[in-house]
Amino acid sequence: MKQTVMAAWAAWALSTASCHPAAEVGARTTTLSLMLPPSERPFWEPIARRFERNHPGVRVDLVEGAQSTDLREDLYTSSLLARDPTFDLVYGDVTWTPKFAAAGWLLPLDDRLSEQERGHFLPAALAAGEYEGRLYRVPMRTDVGLLYFRRDLLQRAGRAPPETFEQLVATARALQSPPAVWGFVWQGKQYEGLICNYLEILRGHGGFWVDPATREVGLDHAEAVAALEFMVRCVREEPISPPGVTTYQEEESRRLFQDGRAVFLRNWPYAWSLAQSADSPIRDRVGVLPMMRIRDARAGGTLGGWGLGISAFSRHPDLAMAFIRDATSLEGQRDLCGPTGYAPARRDAYEDPVLLAANPFLTELERLHEHAVARPAVARYALASDILQRHLSAALAGSIDARRALSAAARETRAMLKGSRGLTRAPGSAR
Amino acid sequence: MSPSDGRRERLLQLTPALLLLAAVVAVPILRIVQLSLFRVELHQGVVARWAGLDQFLRLWQDGRWWITLGNTAFFTGSSVGLEMGLGVAFALLIHPRFRARGAVRALVLLPWALPTAVMSLAWGWIFNDSFGVINDLLGRLGLIRGPVAWLGQPGTAMLALVVADVWKNTPFVTLIVLAGLQGIPEQVLEAARVDGLAAWPRFRRVVLPLLAPSLLVALAFRGVQAYGAFDLPYVLTGGGPGGATETVSLYAYQNYFRYLDFGYGSAIVVQGVALATLLALAMMRLAGSRGRQGA
Repeated sequence: MKQTVMAAWAAWALSTASCHPAAEVGARTTTLSLMLPPSERPFWEPIARRFERNHPGVRVDLVEGAQSTDLREDLYTSSLLARDPTFDLVYGDVTWTPKFAAAGWLLPLDDRLSEQERGHFLPAALAAGEYEGRLYRVPMRTDVGLLYFRRDLLQRAGRAPPETFEQLVATARALQSPPAVWGFVWQGKQYEGLICNYLEILRGHGGFWVDPATREVGLDHAEAVAALEFMVRCVREEPISPPGVTTYQEEESRRLFQDGRAVFLRNWPYAWSLAQSADSPIRDRVGVLPMMRIRDARAGGTLGGWGLGISAFSRHPDLAMAFIRDATSLEGQRDLCGPTGYAPARRDAYEDPVLLAANPFLTELERLHEHAVARPAVARYALASDILQRHLSAALAGSIDARRALSAAARETRAMLKGSRGLTRAPGSAR
Repeated sequence: MSPSDGRRERLLQLTPALLLLAAVVAVPILRIVQLSLFRVELHQGVVARWAGLDQFLRLWQDGRWWITLGNTAFFTGSSVGLEMGLGVAFALLIHPRFRARGAVRALVLLPWALPTAVMSLAWGWIFNDSFGVINDLLGRLGLIRGPVAWLGQPGTAMLALVVADVWKNTPFVTLIVLAGLQGIPEQVLEAARVDGLAAWPRFRRVVLPLLAPSLLVALAFRGVQAYGAFDLPYVLTGGGPGGATETVSLYAYQNYFRYLDFGYGSAIVVQGVALATLLALAMMRLAGSRGRQGA
């Protein structure tokens, strides 16, 4: 009975008199609805209209949520917490999967997506939709952290593209002339993006955050300290990054780079098509690398990406699955990834002549997905991320040294995992 | 009609209002108190288990909570203190009749009319290190050598929060104090002038005591609002860097929405309200004893 207290509270507190279009609109029409960022809506229109043509009597409602990922997560959270059937589909970020799945808000898709169908997707993108061995989300597009560089500046100086952190620092230092042109810009604000930046630098140093199999925490290991010390070095002694980099998100850093005011930029694939746009001052002067590494380690960008899951409260789960199948088909990938330059989640999309013609960068992008680093699939991922964010940010701000920051982060992360682990084992907690 | 009839009628007439208040205020408060006694787990559903006072024990051992409490106290103290001082000064300035008084008053009150989220975004750009106005101005004046990342250092980020809050909320204090000033009869001031009291003693001994009720109202409103500050830090700094600007409300929100930890979020809220109530009681007692001394 106690288990239902929360659900009852949630329903009571949050189910404001929301209307359910599915139930009300004429007897013959069924509505499928999903919420997405306003910027993506135009590219989902053809996908939705095609589905409506193939399924007479069905309307697909593309609801524009907030543009910010966190705010859309809050909107979905409020709706799902209230067991509200408004959204049949959840169009979610990789980091939402564990939380939503653990809360019981997503239907498991294991029986709905065959082994053969799963084979169509990039393995890393598909794995990002799994939680505790079950699939909850089918990938639509992926993201991977990249290192952009100014090909023209490097060529003029006769320097090869760097591979190691040391080479990056040396090249950045040689080519920068701050504050007009900085060596290396990235995302150092206290938010999820800081985690993404740190994770790929961590991978390049051979370290890890939380081991998915053993749940071991690697934040106080020497590799993790070295990775944070590298970031601190970028901003502090002999800086190659502007002091404000500790307040930057993606756009602040991209603008500096696109204005020609930075040699290296860490960002996602979307920055490529913007750098190549007709009015870009750096058009055709940009190259892309995986993130740096130390000599004996592997380089890999942080894996991001978006996919579709079915709400546990949807009244039309079968129809929703049919929509997912359509949206994640090659045609759907063309609609969404062609005009935007987003990285597709399907393997055949990377050999598709239509998509390659729209975005020749795809050939490189597929290779850059190798060794991508996933974020740990723990139910309270947001808490794990906040713990690390705060300590990374404090070290970057110079309030604490890297070693002490990370040993505090490791201690708090272990305490958190212990708590949530005990909870998975708690007897009689299944509903 | 007997007097008890009158009382019954009054009670009857009050009932709808009381019921409404109970529904929208009392029930949610009791619900939060109840939730703060539960532990919430994520396991194939959002599951709540009875935990007694465990969440409060966890709270008192939670370093992050103590930091947010310190941040909130510092933010509340400094921003409300500045707002009270500046608010009174502005009110005194725009109280007398002068040409274009209406326009000046409107101008002074303008910041208060802006939605906090919107003005926070604007302040974010003002404090931006590369494109911001502040760095540009200070650079031109030769006061800083390179760009300063105002929102990137714990001290300056908190300063930025206080500046933005003072900019936005001083007009509120001004408005209340202005109303208070208008309630002071001209004859009283005239009498003080005739008795030969100079401007400062006149303000200190006559105006200020008469303003005390308005000042208390402004202080109470601003104190409670600043203590619950959410939108400004959420938009301007996101609680960073390193959690240096995370307020109690922001932390409660993170627990509710991002960690789905309703029990702990509620414990933070209950503890916060308890502390604020204690503070308010202490302040009222102080004001009360001061008042008696003055009489």
